[in-house]
Amino acid sequence: MFPRVSAIIPLRLLSPFPLCPGGSEAPAAAIVRLGAPHGTVRTKNEVHRYFGTNNVICNKKDEQSAPTRDMSKETETQESVKENTKKDLLGIIKGMRVELSTAKVQTTRPPNRRQLKSIEATTGRLHKVPEDAPKKRTKSLGPELVAAAAAVADVLPFDKQMTKSELLRQLQQHEEVSKAQKDGERAKISVSNIISDMKIAKSSTARVSTRPVHQIQFDEGSNDYVGQKKTNDLKKSLRKNILKGKRLNIFDLKAVTEEAPETETAPSLWDVEFAKQLAEVNEQPLQNGFEEMIQWTKEGKLWEFPINNEAGPTSISAHSIKRLPNL
Amino acid sequence: MAAVASGLYVGVRCRLCLTLTGQWTGLCGKAPSRFYSGSATLPKIEGANVTGIEEVVIPKKKTWDKVAVLQALASTVNRDSTAAPYAFQDDPYLIPTSSVESRSFLLAKKSGENAAKFIINSHPKYFQKDTAEPHIPCLMPEYFEPQIEGISEAALKERIKLKKVRASVDMFDQLLQAGTTVSLETSNSLLDLLCYYGDQEPSADNHFQQSEKSEELEEAIEENNEKSKKAGHQFGVTWRAKNNAERIFALMPEKNSHSYCTMIRGMVKHRALVQALNLYTELLNNRLHADVYTFNALIEATALSMNEKLEDKWNKILELLKEMAAQKVKPNLQTFNTILKCLRRFYSFGRLPALQTFREMKAIGIEPSLATYHYIIQLFYQHENPSKGSSLIIYDIMNELKGKKFSPKDPDDDMFFQSAMRVCSVLRDLELAYQVHGLLNTGDNWKFIGPDHRRNFYYSKFFSLLCLMEQIDVTLKWYKDLIPSVFFPRSQTLIDLLQALDVANRLEVIPEIWKDSKEYGHGFRDALKEEILMLMARDRHPPELQVAFADCAADIRSTYESQDARQTAPDWPANALNYIAVLFLRGGRIQEAWKMLGLFRKHNKIPGNELLDEFMDSAKASNNPAQAIEIVKLASAFSLPVCEGLAQRVMADFAISQEQKEALRDLTSLTSDSDSDSDSDIGEGK
Repeated sequence: MFPRVSAIIPLRLLSPFPLCPGGSEAPAAAIVRLGAPHGTVRTKNEVHRYFGTNNVICNKKDEQSAPTRDMSKETETQESVKENTKKDLLGIIKGMRVELSTAKVQTTRPPNRRQLKSIEATTGRLHKVPEDAPKKRTKSLGPELVAAAAAVADVLPFDKQMTKSELLRQLQQHEEVSKAQKDGERAKISVSNIISDMKIAKSSTARVSTRPVHQIQFDEGSNDYVGQKKTNDLKKSLRKNILKGKRLNIFDLKAVTEEAPETETAPSLWDVEFAKQLAEVNEQPLQNGFEEMIQWTKEGKLWEFPINNEAGPTSISAHSIKRLPNL
Repeated sequence: MAAVASGLYVGVRCRLCLTLTGQWTGLCGKAPSRFYSGSATLPKIEGANVTGIEEVVIPKKKTWDKVAVLQALASTVNRDSTAAPYAFQDDPYLIPTSSVESRSFLLAKKSGENAAKFIINSHPKYFQKDTAEPHIPCLMPEYFEPQIEGISEAALKERIKLKKVRASVDMFDQLLQAGTTVSLETSNSLLDLLCYYGDQEPSADNHFQQSEKSEELEEAIEENNEKSKKAGHQFGVTWRAKNNAERIFALMPEKNSHSYCTMIRGMVKHRALVQALNLYTELLNNRLHADVYTFNALIEATALSMNEKLEDKWNKILELLKEMAAQKVKPNLQTFNTILKCLRRFYSFGRLPALQTFREMKAIGIEPSLATYHYIIQLFYQHENPSKGSSLIIYDIMNELKGKKFSPKDPDDDMFFQSAMRVCSVLRDLELAYQVHGLLNTGDNWKFIGPDHRRNFYYSKFFSLLCLMEQIDVTLKWYKDLIPSVFFPRSQTLIDLLQALDVANRLEVIPEIWKDSKEYGHGFRDALKEEILMLMARDRHPPELQVAFADCAADIRSTYESQDARQTAPDWPANALNYIAVLFLRGGRIQEAWKMLGLFRKHNKIPGNELLDEFMDSAKASNNPAQAIEIVKLASAFSLPVCEGLAQRVMADFAISQEQKEALRDLTSLTSDSDSDSDSDIGEGK
């Protein structure tokens, strides 16, 4: 049972747990651990599936390269460097092979270039930090990662010290973020629970089967994995969900709120028609006679209350006063 | 009204005077108009003894707008749940009794208004007399024909203002031929006109028709994510290549960013997406800047383009946003709403981007509107299957929205309540439904319930959920409150209510529900009638109730009969016949019950075994062996297997003569003998 489970789960697991930019230690570690208990080596296919863009990593090796990528992104603009760094690092990674004894993981050769490129299509910065297996992760940001980070720093042509500290900082950050996010039910959605609670695994497979196969799916995991019971605590804990979490980070609050000198232009046809559409959104039939009178007053059909005797131009003028004929 | 108001003022003054001095005779008796002018200064008091008096605080002058008094009065009026909505004439004939009638009455009223306006505007010379004092402009005829003759820019401007597409284009061409240059502003407004209406005339009765919002069916809401109709896009208008807009755009000697922007917006509105994106590139090449509306249109164009993978589309959208930020174009609410609207087509891929977009929106201080939440709900609850886990985001959203009041900011704002209630219904969460309903009743939010069909949908779902999950007394209270003053129930809603009554063992309410059903036009719904009959006939009840049920059954029978009269092939459902007969029997209407038995033959339906047993019991009770034999005859005529049992029972329980016993044996032999020749034997029966 177990080997089969482990074969299935890695394929399915990562879809509900999108990987964060720059680090996915836990799922990678967890998944790898899952696959590894009997010393099985992860196949290339599984690895490819989860190798995201320059931000997403799936196994330990990728994870080492991704923080570098992330960092390289910080230094240069995304679009221009994407291709270059990928090509450079690809070559570097190809030769790398890391064995981590504590995790009992034997990682395979990294995915080759061809498959990497096909997966480049996935979006980068959208992956959320996975919220699972916190305990194991605390341990994992220990010696292995530090060693890994050091190894990467050595290999790469950038400044070794800076690289290493950057990598470690990134990893720390992600670990903190994921820790902060775990609470209530989320802890339930940990790797160990998924193994023990087959029900959840089943529902995940059912879900995955409905999606198009060639596209990698991303969701907010905890949103979809809740059982039937909705306790108040759960609701409260999920309250943060819609507001907390990553945003697009494209616009800057200061830039948006500063008052740009606006040129006064007359409203164009588009604006006028839009305003009319908006007014219609709220339209409802009148509810009582007073509302009808309000409507008429606004249209100008009804006198205002309280009556203003001086309203409107007076029509009585000298020439319109009737003059009696002289008898 | 005026007198009361002024009285208030006088009262205030008098009180003030009173506290100051004992003398208040002359002052307050004065003509109120002087105080009424709003002056807040106190009149001078001669010889007043001002020592030892508290400081008087002069209130600031309040200004009231012209509808303030009316609004105050309107706020005191609550909805009357026994009356028809105010929009209808208060006449029994003109009060609608079903949603179909309701809609047609309102349309009739509006069309009358439109017809009158049409006549006035077509023949303005007959409507020149103006006796209103002061003048009421909106009752005078409007002029839709251009007045300025000749070829000039002013004439062109007028035609543009009157939205005469063809005439404006002709005028523009004539001006160009005559050699006059048209100013950039006028050209731009001409372009606006052409792009907004897609080079078609605005719909012929543009001035008279209500908004062209298309009606979505409930199911279509889930499937039809094409909100193109909602965007004001005239259904069917597509952007033809080389139409007048493009031609004039090419002819313009100078183009500013407004020209490009309006062209892009027009192209996107009329679904010329590739051209729009190309034009945007051209705009950038000319070193011009797009405004926020253009960016919104471009985002829509990117999302709607075919043949691209979802991730690619999303990346392109992100790039557009980054360009916006780089060019310091401030995004507005529509930017984010457009993104969310487009993400709905991305199905589950769009969930994470949607949340990120939402957070971005909040982070830069743009307050989401109801439409924002509507899109999010649609995205997360699209193809809802409650057996798998459902998203909990609706709870988040309702927490977020608690107590907020909204004003219209997006044309899709009126879709929110209906989606929210749909989700509550799917999740079967009554608490959440109460929350949604509470939000609806906060402030002026009720106005966002939307047009008739949406309101009906909302309340149908709400009431069905109540029937399912709420205690029966509360449900009945809601029933009295909502129906029919707020919405007319569909037959399914009534069936839900009946089932709730069944569960709560309150079947005595059923005759009342039947009366209401007839009133709301469901008197001919077979499913509803069968449900009612079934619930009444299922168990035995105390005698008074039984009588009431029998009366109800008689009523239902009469509806079947009138249906028969209209149809050529009368067809009563077998169940209905069974139930009605049983109810008559139990309710003491023996004669009519026997008549029902006769109807079985006529409509070629088979009576149930229990029914025959009951008839047998009734025959026994009235000690009428002839009836008993009738029953057996009927059973044998239908070749029912129970015939033999019935015959034996008759022989056992009744005192019958020898001949009758013989006949009975014949009858039973007929039915038990499968090979018997029925033709020859039937003739022998007594």
